[in-house]
Amino acid sequence: MAVKITVKDYMTYIELVTQKIQENKVYISELDAITGDGDHWANMNMGFGKLVENKTLLEGMTFNEMFKKIGQLIMSTVGGSSGVLYGSAYLRASKVIGENQVIDLELLSQILEAKLVAIMERGNAKPGFKTMIDALHPAVLNLQNALKEEKSDYDALQELKIGAIEGMNQTRDMEAVKGRACYQANKGVGHLDPGAVTMCYQLEVLVDFLCSRM
Amino acid sequence: MKKLINHPDEVVSDMLQGFVSANPQLEYFKEVEVIAKKIKEKKVGLVSGGGSGHEPAHAGYVGKGMLDAAVAGNVFASPSPDRIIKGIEEAHMGEGVLLIIKNYSGDIMNFGMAKDLAELDGIEVDYVVVKDDVAVKDSTYSTGRRGVAGTVLVHKIAGAKADEGASLKEVKRAAEKAIQNVRTMGMAMSSCIIPSVGQPGFELGEYEIEIGMGIHGEPGVEKTTIKSAKDIAQSLCNKILEDYDYSNSEVAVLVNGLGSTPLMELYILNYEVAKLLKEKNITIHRTFVGNYMTSLEMSGCSISLLKLDDELKGLLDAPCQTPALTIT
Repeated sequence: MAVKITVKDYMTYIELVTQKIQENKVYISELDAITGDGDHWANMNMGFGKLVENKTLLEGMTFNEMFKKIGQLIMSTVGGSSGVLYGSAYLRASKVIGENQVIDLELLSQILEAKLVAIMERGNAKPGFKTMIDALHPAVLNLQNALKEEKSDYDALQELKIGAIEGMNQTRDMEAVKGRACYQANKGVGHLDPGAVTMCYQLEVLVDFLCSRM
Repeated sequence: MKKLINHPDEVVSDMLQGFVSANPQLEYFKEVEVIAKKIKEKKVGLVSGGGSGHEPAHAGYVGKGMLDAAVAGNVFASPSPDRIIKGIEEAHMGEGVLLIIKNYSGDIMNFGMAKDLAELDGIEVDYVVVKDDVAVKDSTYSTGRRGVAGTVLVHKIAGAKADEGASLKEVKRAAEKAIQNVRTMGMAMSSCIIPSVGQPGFELGEYEIEIGMGIHGEPGVEKTTIKSAKDIAQSLCNKILEDYDYSNSEVAVLVNGLGSTPLMELYILNYEVAKLLKEKNITIHRTFVGNYMTSLEMSGCSISLLKLDDELKGLLDAPCQTPALTIT
């Protein structure tokens, strides 16, 4: 079966991400306490909580409006680095989606790429800096390759997920260049980047949600 | 966690409402968490801000001769662009707006995006980045040096320059001169608890201190055991003097408490700093002792030295009247 995501589906996905974030409070907070200041989980939880609070409003919108609104809500609620980065990502995604009301896999790939580029530009960061980019970048590359190889939607999504997980795991050995972790004497080496972990959650949940419906 | 709060999610707005009711000459914009002057003057607008938890920074420096607006983020998290834009709008009197940003990834991104968006609305915006913490190596590749207590002195200098009626370009130049000439070094004796996190971000043993710790509890350069105020003064000052040439100069000294260090201890530290600078033939022009840039309930201190020339001296001595700093 092929991927088809409607606005309503997207909101279900947002709820699943919120749940996943809630379940990992202790893990993410502890991870961030080691390399950052321990508030990443609280900020992400507040941001996604805000989206769920606005479910009725968001579900009544077109994708274009919805992504814009998600961007603004995350930006203003999450604050910090994550807020402006996810905010920039969703604002860019709203441009890419245009008038489309259903997302297929090809469009999903373009949306994820647009998010990646927006995050890299706003953060002035590249893959390898031990950030959320390190989960998103390989996921996008894997999906693009799978599409080129004309793999089934199911297989392509699994590739996306593998990319995200592998990328997240690679942040363990990376030295932080940006953000609080770069002040650590060892630049956070030996610990996963919490931003990469929560990015990976979002991609994993997306894949699991879409595949469960196939 | 034992804190005098209502709910962790409400600390910033509850605080600012209490702040503005104690300072009715200032205006509070709820939701966007902006504090701005009620009486506007035609001059270059100055906006600063950052995560909350550093009180009295930054709202405490809004007033005559310093900032026109301060923008608060959540605790230790940068404010979002929409909040900063409100601050820019409140500070904008047609002469342009200067943003004074502390050098953290989040602040750089959020203030940067706010600048881009405000410029689309036709407001001329420029910015300076304070990076005074000598505990971190300066770097153009990574985020580099953090902005800490020295930021307060930059607010003072830029504010005085703007009060003279100087252009945006001139105010920026004065602010950058202050940034080039200010260095800070700190130490922590205990951790702090972010209300929404509920537990300390790190632990220090009973006799343990951390030299060079950042104002969000970022690691410093060395963990050691507690020493006398004299030794601490020496260790912090030496690190600053190694970084920048202050020899035979006049300076402003800022001995800053991080939140729960008694003024008694800050004055003792200042006594040692004053003796030490005298030995090194550095003349103290003006001294500030108090809690100027805190880190919630962290105990510890920082020492900032601003090297002064005639221009900076004049700007530092110019009158200002804000909730947290008044010079007459």
